[in-house]
Amino acid sequence: MTGIPPRTAPYWDLEYETMPRDQLRELQFELLQEAIAFSYEHAPLTRETWDDAGIRPSDIRTWDDFTEKAPFIDKDALRHFRDDRGDPFGGVLCRDPAELTAINSTSGTTGDPTLVAEMWGGGFVGRPAIMYRDFWGMGVRPGDAVALFLFTFRGPTYGFVQQLGAVPLLFDYGVDEIERLLRSSLAYRPTALYNFGGTMINATAEIADRAGIDPRDAFASYHGIVFAGEPLGSRARRLADEWGLPLFEHSNVGDVTACFECTAHDGMHFWEDMAHVEGIDPVAGSHHDAQPVTGDRVRCELVATALTNRVAPLIRFRSDDLVEIDRSTCACGRTHARIWTIGRKGDELVVQGASVLPVDLWAAVEAIDACRLGLFQIVRPAREVDVLRLRVGYQDTPADRVEALRSDVAGAVFAAIGVEPVVELVPNEALLRLGPPHKIPRVTRS
Amino acid sequence: MSARREDLGGAATLWGVGQWVDDRGERVAWEVGSDEINRAIGSAPARLAMLGVERGERVLFTSMLSEAAHFWPLVVGCMLAGAQLSCADATRGEALRVQMFIRLLSYRAAIGITGAVLDGFDDLGADYAAVFGEIPVIVARPDAYDRLVGAGLTPHAMALVGPALAIASEPGGPLWVDEHEWQLDAGTDGVVLVTNLRPTATRFERTRTALRGEVIDGHGIRFEPTTQSDGMNRDESPVHDAD
Repeated sequence: MTGIPPRTAPYWDLEYETMPRDQLRELQFELLQEAIAFSYEHAPLTRETWDDAGIRPSDIRTWDDFTEKAPFIDKDALRHFRDDRGDPFGGVLCRDPAELTAINSTSGTTGDPTLVAEMWGGGFVGRPAIMYRDFWGMGVRPGDAVALFLFTFRGPTYGFVQQLGAVPLLFDYGVDEIERLLRSSLAYRPTALYNFGGTMINATAEIADRAGIDPRDAFASYHGIVFAGEPLGSRARRLADEWGLPLFEHSNVGDVTACFECTAHDGMHFWEDMAHVEGIDPVAGSHHDAQPVTGDRVRCELVATALTNRVAPLIRFRSDDLVEIDRSTCACGRTHARIWTIGRKGDELVVQGASVLPVDLWAAVEAIDACRLGLFQIVRPAREVDVLRLRVGYQDTPADRVEALRSDVAGAVFAAIGVEPVVELVPNEALLRLGPPHKIPRVTRS
Repeated sequence: MSARREDLGGAATLWGVGQWVDDRGERVAWEVGSDEINRAIGSAPARLAMLGVERGERVLFTSMLSEAAHFWPLVVGCMLAGAQLSCADATRGEALRVQMFIRLLSYRAAIGITGAVLDGFDDLGADYAAVFGEIPVIVARPDAYDRLVGAGLTPHAMALVGPALAIASEPGGPLWVDEHEWQLDAGTDGVVLVTNLRPTATRFERTRTALRGEVIDGHGIRFEPTTQSDGMNRDESPVHDAD
């Protein structure tokens, strides 16, 4: 496609977004072979990993070849390469470092941030996809204002807004920017907001009240409000419903691409002309014994391959993320697959044979009024344990009610997952001190 | 006189809407035109060259998204100069990221260091001189400047003067705004006033800013050490939701 589509077009890129899956698979395979050859030629980690596996790019002639023969890499492999070889890019950089425009980083939420090599205005083959297709689909059109409520560590994200012909309104990601966001929303009537999650929605109620602003008025112009990172709790959902917020979930896909909900709100699309995503049995040791999980909406571990990145592509990157994938055509008309994030494999706790992830507990904890902020941690000294230990934050509870609260929490968790937990109650403030404001590590060793 | 919106007359397009901070410390919406951003981009390589940033060098920016209109010209200026860049928020929680960048990569300059970032280093038990010692040029905001000097470093000073960005050309020297774009005046109470000299989407006419100090030759400043130029409460680090 070239240029901006007509305002009435429902898709940014009709041809690619609705491409029949057999054609999409053909396109993917062409891109896959090119990406593998490029990475093998230029990225030392890819070359060594494939050489160790006794395989070369020319051995990949079919999808089955790729599934059976191509070795995985994972974040540990990148970190080891980085530390052992003194290569800050973990062995995946395919360019002379002098060619790079920027070197930014991942969030670091699940460990050390890792470097992200960027070449602005180049570095990718293929067509504009991420953000463009997603925000156009939400209803952003040229001349609109788009509110960005973000950090800077991934670089200047406002570029995509300008490429859509829209005007970015720029805010820092923080509670102290909410009032300004509300006032600017009334003044500029933006059509999209990126990124505004549960903590911010919960905080908005009080801030809007203090400022004398009705959130329903402030958010009335929005076609899409994007949230990411953590599930939206019941309180935030209730507020969002009350205010009429058009929420769209967004997530990372194995450090290779991103995914967004569409207007059908039935999973998050990732663009398969940019990334090949597989599901495997999470207990697999290596590619030799990895069982593909191809059924729709079956829990699996996500493995992703960058198809169009020509700077630092990850090839068969085993993400540690537990997801469900659906490859059937979406009600929105797009043929690209959808994903549901479940949690991180490294966060999974097996209690007397039963799998427990933070997402399994969220609603139960939040349902207790004193625990409505949903602050809790799973204590995970080992993957398999006999007893589920939880640390749960609370508020507004006198000392003589704490024991009863503990019992309420334990009961709610048992009702949700069938496992009786041992609950340690701590004030919310104590938990918030453990991590960056508004977000805490959900799994801890002790 | 406060800032007011120019009649765009359909001729100019908006690059974006950021914010500047007034003399009460309030953030004010700032409509920024594409033309004025492009002019700032045009002059950015020369400003960076003043800091020794040239082809093959690398720059670490610590700033906030709401400051993008101030920093974007420098970011593009890096590209135009053939230098590389890295970005981190200017918050306490981002000290870890800043430390990671400096540990893994070499930088010619770290631009925009705030007191909040230094607070983060205090939390980490990191010595400022040890963190920044290998970086030839440190460019510090008013609330970080004295702390870095106290650690034995020789930072350049920088400040946001309302919509204008002022940077010192040498350690210990006054800060300069782009003299073709901005006129600075001293208010009777020591507040720095700013006026745009060329067409901008938002007009500034002796507009009171959050910066206090001595004005030099209409485009230079020596700020008061305790001044807060950006009105930011950076006690909080951002939530890294998207990743």
